[in-house]
Amino acid sequence: MAIIERPSAEIAVAGAAPSGVKPSEALGVFKRPAASTSWKDWLVTVDHKKLGIMYGVAAFFFFIVGGVEALLIRLQLAGPEGKILSADQYNQMFTMHATTMVFLFVMPMVSAFANYFVPLQIGARDVAFPRINAFGFWCWLFGGIFLNTSWFLGGAADGGWFMYAPNSSTLFSPSHGIDFWVLGLQITGIASLTGAINLIVTVLNMRAPGMKLMRMPIFTWMTLVVQFLLLFAMPVITVALFLLSFQRSFDATFFDVAAGADPLLWQHLCWIFGHPEVYILILPSFGIVSEIIPVFSKKPLFGYPIVAMSGAAIGFVGWGVWAHHMFASGLGPVSVAVFSMATMAIAVPTGVKIVNWIMTMWGGKLSFTVPMLFAIGLVVQFTIGGLSGVTHSVAPSDTQQTDTYYIVAHFHYVLFGGAIFGLFAGFYYWWPKIFRKQLSESLGKWNFWLMVIGMNMTFGPMHILGLQGQPRRMQVWTEARAGEGFFNIGFWNRIASLGSFILAVGVLLFIINIIYTHKSKKVAIAPLDPWDARSLEWMTANPPVEHNFDSIPTVNNLDEFFHRKYAEDPNTHEVRQVATAEEVLAELNAHPDEHIHMPSRSYWPILVSLSLPIICYGLIYNRLLMGVGAAFLLLTMFGWAMEPSTAPDDDFDPPAPGEGGGHTKELAPLG
Amino acid sequence: MNKSPRRRIMAAVGLMAGLVFLAGCAKDAPQDTWQPAGPNAEQIDNLQQPVFLVAGIVGIIVFLAVAFVVIRYRDRGQSIPEQTHGKPALEVTLTVIPVLILIGVAIPTAGTIFDLAKTDDTEMVINVTGQQWWWEYDYPSTGANAESYGVVDPIVTSGQLVIPENTKVLLRVTSRDVIHSYWIPKLNGKKDGVPGRVHLLRLEGSKPGIYAGQCTEFCGLSHAYMRMETVVLNRADFDAWVANQLKPYESPAEGTLAAEGESLFIQQCSRCHQVNGLTNADGAPIIAAPEQYMVSGAAPNLTHLMTRNTFAGAAWDLLTPECRDDVWNANTEEFGARYLAGVSAECLNQKDLREWLRNAPEKKPMYADPTKLQATDGKYRGMPALGLTEDQIDALVAYLLERK
Repeated sequence: MAIIERPSAEIAVAGAAPSGVKPSEALGVFKRPAASTSWKDWLVTVDHKKLGIMYGVAAFFFFIVGGVEALLIRLQLAGPEGKILSADQYNQMFTMHATTMVFLFVMPMVSAFANYFVPLQIGARDVAFPRINAFGFWCWLFGGIFLNTSWFLGGAADGGWFMYAPNSSTLFSPSHGIDFWVLGLQITGIASLTGAINLIVTVLNMRAPGMKLMRMPIFTWMTLVVQFLLLFAMPVITVALFLLSFQRSFDATFFDVAAGADPLLWQHLCWIFGHPEVYILILPSFGIVSEIIPVFSKKPLFGYPIVAMSGAAIGFVGWGVWAHHMFASGLGPVSVAVFSMATMAIAVPTGVKIVNWIMTMWGGKLSFTVPMLFAIGLVVQFTIGGLSGVTHSVAPSDTQQTDTYYIVAHFHYVLFGGAIFGLFAGFYYWWPKIFRKQLSESLGKWNFWLMVIGMNMTFGPMHILGLQGQPRRMQVWTEARAGEGFFNIGFWNRIASLGSFILAVGVLLFIINIIYTHKSKKVAIAPLDPWDARSLEWMTANPPVEHNFDSIPTVNNLDEFFHRKYAEDPNTHEVRQVATAEEVLAELNAHPDEHIHMPSRSYWPILVSLSLPIICYGLIYNRLLMGVGAAFLLLTMFGWAMEPSTAPDDDFDPPAPGEGGGHTKELAPLG
Repeated sequence: MNKSPRRRIMAAVGLMAGLVFLAGCAKDAPQDTWQPAGPNAEQIDNLQQPVFLVAGIVGIIVFLAVAFVVIRYRDRGQSIPEQTHGKPALEVTLTVIPVLILIGVAIPTAGTIFDLAKTDDTEMVINVTGQQWWWEYDYPSTGANAESYGVVDPIVTSGQLVIPENTKVLLRVTSRDVIHSYWIPKLNGKKDGVPGRVHLLRLEGSKPGIYAGQCTEFCGLSHAYMRMETVVLNRADFDAWVANQLKPYESPAEGTLAAEGESLFIQQCSRCHQVNGLTNADGAPIIAAPEQYMVSGAAPNLTHLMTRNTFAGAAWDLLTPECRDDVWNANTEEFGARYLAGVSAECLNQKDLREWLRNAPEKKPMYADPTKLQATDGKYRGMPALGLTEDQIDALVAYLLERK
C-alpha cells in the first residue's frame, strides 16, 4: 500500500492531475511496482477505473467475436440446406455464440461499468480489495482467451451453452472442446465470485458520509443485487462444472445413466445457476437506464424505493423459477404448476420497473440524446420480451414453445433489446466521463436506429418461426418442410438473416463513432457535466483523478449532485439553478483531504491468474504441465502474500474524534 | 428528428404484433403451434390464445403510454419540473393490476397442467424411444393394445407413429443415448425422452392425416435431421395397418433382382437392421444385433419400411413430391386408403434413397467414420458408408420395395 502524500495547496487547482505523487518506498524483497505512464502500468494497475476500462475494451472485443459467430449462424440459415458451416461447426458456433455473449461480453461489460462507477457513485476512492479486483480481471481475461483457443486446438465446445448431460460426455463429444469450455468457465467464474465479494464489501462499507442505502444511485443498487446473485449462483455452476470436469477427465459417473445417474441432475444445477444468471445480465442495464431516464427527464426516478426494492424482489424470486426451463423435462404436474406460478409472480416486479420508467418521463422535460434513445429502446423492447416471457410462463403453452425460435426471440428481446441496449445507453452516457470527449450525437442516432431496425428485423420474425414450429439449434432447414404461403419459415429466416446484417452495421457505426470522436480535430473536449447529471460520479473531473475525489463529499440527498446545482422553492416547486457543475466541483475541491490513502500497484494479480490457464492446459494435454502450473500458482500466491504494505501503521488507525469533520480518513481500501 | 423515429417505433411494433397474431392463420404450415388437430393441443391453444391477447393488449397500452410521454413531454423549453419522487397510491394500483391479471392467467393454467397430465383414461400405450437421430415406436402386445386393437404381437416401427383416430394414446417416452424431445405440435406439447427415465405424453388425433414434428432437444450432430410424423387413421384403416404389420414375411421370388437384394441385405444390413421373419439358408431366423455395433444399441426395424413414407429419421421422403402431395393433401375419406397403399415402384423417391445407400454419413451428418471410433469402443452413431456398387444398390432398392 502506498500513500499519496502531497500538500493540499497543490491539489487545490480543480481537475489538475495529481502532482508530487511519489510511490513510497517498498519494504522487504518483494518490491511493488512504481507508477508510470507506460503501457506496463496497465498490467500492474489496481485502479478500479483502469480495470473498468480494460474490462470494457476486452469485453467489447469478445462482443465482436460473438457477433461474428452470430452472423455465421444467420448466414447458414439464410437459405435452405445451408452449406456455410458443417453440422459440427454449426454446433460449435451456437455454443460459443451464447457462451461468449453471456460470459465474455455482457457479464464483463457489466463489471466494466460496476468497476468504474460504483466507487464513484458512492463517493469512494477505490474498491475494498483493489488487488483482488485486478486478479478478477486477469482471471476473466485469461479464462476467456483460454476458452477461445479451443477453436485452434481441435474445435470448440459443441454441446450448447446449457451443455446438457449426457450429450456433454466424452462418448458423445470426444473432442476437447467441452474440456476447454468447462475449464475456461471455471476460471472466469473466479472473477465473478471475487468481484461479487469485492463490490458487496465496497458498497456496504465504503459509502461517503450521509449516503444511506436509500440514497444510493439506482445503478449501484442494481449492481449490489447482482453481486449477491453472483455470490450465490456461481458456486452452483462451479460445482456442476467440477462434476462434468471430473466425468470427462477422470471417468467419474455423475451423469452416466448406465451407472445409475439421472441426467436431470445437470439440468437442475445448470438452471439454478442459469436463471439467476438472466437477472445478473439484465438488472445492471435496468440500473443504467434508471440513471439515464431521470437525467434526461429532469426529474428524479419515480418511485425510487419501489424500483430498488423490486430489483431486490426480482433477485429473491429469481431463485424460485429455474425449473421453468424444464417444463418439457418430465417434472410432474405439481412441480410444473408451482414453477409456472412463480414465473408469473416475477413478472410483477419487472412490470413495476417499466411503469416507473414511464412515470419518470411523465411530466418531465425530455431531451432525446443518444443515451436517452437507447434507454427508451430498452423500455419498449424489454416490454416485448417480458410479455412473450409471460406467454411461456403458462407451462402448457411453453411445452409448445420451448426449444423453438419463439424462445430465441424472447430472450434476444430481453438480452439484446434489453441488456445490450442498456449497455449502449451506458456507453454513450458515460463516455465523456471516462474519455473526456462526447461521442457524436448524429452518428449515435444512426447507430441507434440501425440497431433498432436490425434487432427487430432479426428477432421479431423469430416469434413467427417459433410459433410455426421451427426448433432451435437446427443446422439446416429444408424447403420441403418449410410450409407454404406468407408464413413459410423460409421467408422469415431470410428476413432474420438480413436483419442481423443491419444490426451488425449498427454496431459497426458505434466503432466508427469512437474512431471519429477521438481522431477528428473537430470534436472538442466535452464540458464537465455535459448531460446536467444527478449523481456523484459527475462531481469529479473528466476523467476522474486517480483518487477520484480530492475531498469526500457529504451526501444529504438522493441525486446529490443535482441538489448542489439546483434549488427547489418549497412553496412554488420552482426549480432553479444555483450553481454550475464547475462551481460545485471547485467548492468540493477547495478543502482537499490531507491524507489520501491509495493502494499501490502490484505484480501479483496478473501472475497468479496466469497460472490458472497453464494448469488447465495441463489437465487437457499433459499432467506434467499441470504440475508446473500448480507450482507457479503456489509461488505467485506466496509472492502475493509476502508483498509489502508500504503504508505506515498509523494509516490504519481509526480517525481521531473530530478530526477534519470525521471523514478525512475514509475507510481505506485494503491494497 | 424526434418525430419520425417515434412513428417508426410504433409502426414496427404494430406490424410485429400483427404478424405474430396472423401467424396463427398460416396455411400449409406443417408444425404450426396454433392449429391444433387433437384435444390435447386444443386445450393448450384455448389456454394460450387469451394469454396472447392479454399480453398484446398490455403491450399496446405500454407502447401508447411511451409514445404519449415521448410526444407530450419532450423538451419544448418548459421549466424544470417539480422534483416529485412518486405517488404511493398510483404505484400500488399499478402493481395490483398486473397481479390480478396474472391470477386470472394462473388459475386456468394450473387446471390445464393437471388435465394434460391425466393418464387414467388411456386407451392405448406405445413405447417411444429416441436415439441419435431417429425415433423407434414399439406397440406392446398387452392389455388394451391386444384386446381392443388386435396388436397380438409386438409391432416395432420407426419414423411415422401410426395411431387410431379419437383414441387416447399414451406414449411412454424415453431415450437410449442422449436427451431427445418428442413433439407433434398439432397434437400436443413436447416431452423430453431422457435416458433412464420414462416420461408420459398423451396423444390424440381427431382427424385422419399426417402431423409433422421434430426433435426439440439438442441431441448432437444431426439434431436438425431428427424428425418424426404421427399418422392418424380411422379405426378401420388402423385395423388394416395393424394386420399388415403382423403379416408374415415373404421372401422375394427366386431369380429376381429383389432376391439378389435379399442376400445382399443379409450380408450388409442385417447385423443392425431387423427384418422380422428373415432366415438364413438353413432356416434359422436372423436376429439383428445392433447393440454390438451401435452406441445407442438400436437401428430401425425395416420389416415394413415401404408402409412408411419417410426414412432416415423421417428426414427424407420415400415418396416422390407428387405422390407425397397425393397422400398429404388427401381429404379425410381418402387419406387412409392412400396412406395404406404405401410406396410403389413408381412413387419411390429413388434419388434420396440411393444417395443414402451410397454414402449415408455424407447425406446426414453422423459419427460414422470408421477411423474415428476410439471414443466409442468402435461403435457407430448412425449408418456408415457401406461402399456399395450401383448394381448392389439396384438390388437393395428392389428388395426394400417389397418390404410392405
